[in-house]
Amino acid sequence: MSDNSFPSKLQAAVARHVGKPGAIHNLQQLTGGANRTTWSFDADIGERRERLILQLSPQVPSDEPNPLAEITPHPTAEESAWLMMAAAKVGVPAPRVRAILEDSDGLGPGYVTDRVDGETLAPKILREAAFAPARSKMTRQAGEILARIHSIPLAETPYLHRQTAAEMIEGQRKVIDYYDFHLPALEWGLKWAADNIPRDARLTVVHGDFRIGNMIVGENDGIRLVLDWEIGQISDPMQDLGWLCVKTWRFGGKLPVGGFGRREELFEAYEKAGGQPVDPAHVRFWEAFGSVKWATGCLRLGMRGIEEVGVERCAIGRRIEEPLWDFYELLEGRD
Amino acid sequence: MNFWRAATSAFSAMPLSIPKSTLILQAAIKYLEEELMPTLGGYHRFKTRVTANALNIVRRELEMRAAHAAAEHDRLVTLLGHDGEVEDLSRELALRIREGKIPLDHPGLREHLRRSLRDALEINNPKWLTR
Repeated sequence: MSDNSFPSKLQAAVARHVGKPGAIHNLQQLTGGANRTTWSFDADIGERRERLILQLSPQVPSDEPNPLAEITPHPTAEESAWLMMAAAKVGVPAPRVRAILEDSDGLGPGYVTDRVDGETLAPKILREAAFAPARSKMTRQAGEILARIHSIPLAETPYLHRQTAAEMIEGQRKVIDYYDFHLPALEWGLKWAADNIPRDARLTVVHGDFRIGNMIVGENDGIRLVLDWEIGQISDPMQDLGWLCVKTWRFGGKLPVGGFGRREELFEAYEKAGGQPVDPAHVRFWEAFGSVKWATGCLRLGMRGIEEVGVERCAIGRRIEEPLWDFYELLEGRD
Repeated sequence: MNFWRAATSAFSAMPLSIPKSTLILQAAIKYLEEELMPTLGGYHRFKTRVTANALNIVRRELEMRAAHAAAEHDRLVTLLGHDGEVEDLSRELALRIREGKIPLDHPGLREHLRRSLRDALEINNPKWLTR
């Protein structure tokens, strides 16, 4: 193939970066969005047929209006790939990077990783009997994985953006001001967060969106792969532990850690795997603030309801009260 | 112009139009859920479900929002000590909270916020309240 089609460009890129001949089979788009598209394909490398994933980012890294895109700068595709490589190096099950695309590939920014089978859908992972063995392992695995992510030497990730809790709160306020959407319950949550920022926060690499939906799970072996490294940054490591406990990310599951586990077990596994001692109140701050942050997330996504994905985005906008309700429930000791 | 007052006064100006808008929505939702959805699969089934849910939000809003807004207005007047349109009062409260001009533990404040959230959830996702 020597034409200029997407598959032939991909074949040329695979042949160049991964191995020859690079013939492409079963190319399928898995997800598409304004932010990036994911493709699944097989490629002939030497004598073997390898199972691969292509992740493409647009030239403009965010689909948000510029003033908002600057609030949470995302790593570029190349930087995300570097972060996954740094994570893999400390034993995190991150996608194995096979190629980072170059301008001359003509595909835009992106990278190729190995493809791993498994489940990402919360209802299956949390409720199907077949996943019971996975559920019994995932809390411990989550603690170990997060401890490892937080151990990535900062010197290896100079490209990551640094964001403290105070900076995040300011970022949320900018979003609110930009859309001129002043909801007292949301402002109360942000003021509460500003008044309760933990004083003794460390700064480490954080994943930033570690939860069901962003991991590939096997029925018997649990967490196989941690996905979505697109908002990795330098921040308070307790953020990742709190975020996993945010009620939205329990997807209706009864247990506080991601719907599948107990906090004590998560913290114990985290510490055992080399994580710093966990102060549960510190994690709880991030869990509570996580709900408030997700409320602003609903605002951001919902305001793009018309021009982006239509009715789904509109529906997300109308979910803003859910995490706020959970936030007040948590403050009142009901979780 | 206050959208809710505009909407409700528009309705009261034509009391003889039947069936009510909420009933029309109900009929449309019934068609989507009971007739169309069973014939669909995959993407369009999912998208139709999301659409029916969105229309249900609009239906509940038409039914409840005027009463919620009136109650919210009264609570805001009590909290802020002056009258105004409910949107303006709510915005003022939000900014006062951000600036620390009204303390987080101000008597009745949290009760007001929770009441407003409960009312909104009754429209947007009543299931969230009974989990």
